[in-house]
Amino acid sequence: MAYLELQNVSKLFGTVAAVKDFNLAVEKGAFISLLGPSGCGKTTTLRMIAGFEMPDAGTITLDGADITGVPPNKRGTGMVFQAYALFPNMSVRDNVAFGLEVTGHPKKEIDERVREMLSLIRLKDTAKRFPHQLSGGQQQRIALARALAIRPRVLLLDEPLSALDAVVRVALRGEIRRIQLELGITTVYVTHDQEEALSISDRVVVMNQGLIEQAGSPEEIYRQPKTRFVAAFIGTANQLNGVLVDRAQVRFGETILRAPVPLALNELSKIVVLVRPESIAVHATAPTDAQNILEGTIQTITFLGPITRVGVDVDGTRVVADLAVSNRAAFTHTQHVWLSFPADACQVMEST
Amino acid sequence: MKQRAPFFQILLVGLFIAYMILPVIATYIFSVATKWDITLMPEGYTLEWYQTAFDHPYFSITLTNSFIVSIAAVLVGLLFIVPTTYWVHTRVPCAKTLLDLLMILPFGIPSVVLALALIRVYSFPPVGRSPFLLISACVIFSMPFMYRPISNSLMAIDVHTLTESALSLGANTLQILIRVIAPNILPGILSGSLLVFATVFAEFTLANLITGASFKTFPILLVEFTRRDGRIAAALSVISFTVAWIVSLAILWVGGRGRKPTEEALGAR
Repeated sequence: MAYLELQNVSKLFGTVAAVKDFNLAVEKGAFISLLGPSGCGKTTTLRMIAGFEMPDAGTITLDGADITGVPPNKRGTGMVFQAYALFPNMSVRDNVAFGLEVTGHPKKEIDERVREMLSLIRLKDTAKRFPHQLSGGQQQRIALARALAIRPRVLLLDEPLSALDAVVRVALRGEIRRIQLELGITTVYVTHDQEEALSISDRVVVMNQGLIEQAGSPEEIYRQPKTRFVAAFIGTANQLNGVLVDRAQVRFGETILRAPVPLALNELSKIVVLVRPESIAVHATAPTDAQNILEGTIQTITFLGPITRVGVDVDGTRVVADLAVSNRAAFTHTQHVWLSFPADACQVMEST
Repeated sequence: MKQRAPFFQILLVGLFIAYMILPVIATYIFSVATKWDITLMPEGYTLEWYQTAFDHPYFSITLTNSFIVSIAAVLVGLLFIVPTTYWVHTRVPCAKTLLDLLMILPFGIPSVVLALALIRVYSFPPVGRSPFLLISACVIFSMPFMYRPISNSLMAIDVHTLTESALSLGANTLQILIRVIAPNILPGILSGSLLVFATVFAEFTLANLITGASFKTFPILLVEFTRRDGRIAAALSVISFTVAWIVSLAILWVGGRGRKPTEEALGAR
């Protein structure tokens, strides 16, 4: 039995199932992210772990004990919310001390713990300040310290960085991960930002419409998406619709592509080939030795900072490829180009 | 965008304030005038009306009684309305419309009707015709004044997130109410308390009918004097206004000390 387990958990709001038959096992000390678009049920799931929603079916166990019916203030879970939930009427010190004060800890212990927590989040000098005097990023760090001060068994974070600007977000997610590793605390993190999830989690659970699409390490999710949804949601993937030819070939339009075909797909099924833009090379002249070659005309050239993304029209299908820095200036709009990619960069899936 | 000096607006507001405050000023002047029948300003000034008022055997008793009733009405009102409103806002949001309605009902009940109805129903000792009944009547009658500001304050803060954060940290509902919610709805609590104190302090009908002579409040004394000597009545009115102002200032001053962080936080949102 894992440290935190959700078994067959379901939640309905009226007739709409927000979460359907959800099963999840989280090992002690692991950092798992629930990732998905708005409305996929990730926040509802988190709130059920916290005790703010009651599951309509299923059980939630923590450290071997069934906590499904336990009220939220008795579960030993600490939560960080998206909206800054710091108490505006209390100083930073009082905010962080709150959880310990309401449970009757001695003052000396509380003071010591508050100092410890403020050190941990590297905001030692803010003890006497009030929330409205701090920046958004600082407030969220205080919120984190406050949740950790009570030594929770599980730390729950509900899109804690969504309301912050991009630079702060990247810095703070690293901080959260650093603190989590330092304390070894089991953490469940909800986000709709895939970069966030992939960069800091041990495991990612991709959710869609109340169901788990795929659960695995960030690399597995990225390189071996199991469903079309995961492939489309994580990163960018070109989707080439075609039909099977044999165990190693697929027909896409007029071209035969070489790609590994999973055994589960039979000969007649309509399939889709997924290729990520970073695996595709762009050539001004026809390449001679490539496993897969497509031809088309450049429609768009988008500068994205570290990469330049080229959108190519291949017989009506838009295919995007990323250009290396050195290659950027070589191409122009409406230029006829060739795209090449190896067979193992392709993933073949059933087209639903 | 340049703002034109709103001369017309200032004039209008000034006239309105003058219109409202003139009777009050006149009362003040009358209470210190020897004779003010036919001249534009009083013929002379004196403090003898105040002296007569203070010397009256019932002066201190009625003043004390009024304070007791007003303060009790504020405290009982807070005790009932703050937890209830909080509960409805967080746990039973569908009942909010019903609560809003309930809290407007007292406006539709004239004090005479309320007093007589209560006397009828609670005619048994020790409740019948006692100060307790009067205080209860005042609580009911002043409910809208307490409820509205508190409800508005609750809506201005993110009650749900604050409550849930506090719960996740291990607090129970009472702790949340006292440590987190009340301090953050202090503006509402203060407004409500002020309004209730002022209205109950000045309430005549309920006191007159429910307790009458057995427990006289200040307005009863005042009304008695209006029938006897207008100048002393004026002095008592001035005392009444002054009490209300002092209490208002006191409540605002006490509240002002803890209010700033919350206000700034609300403003920053």
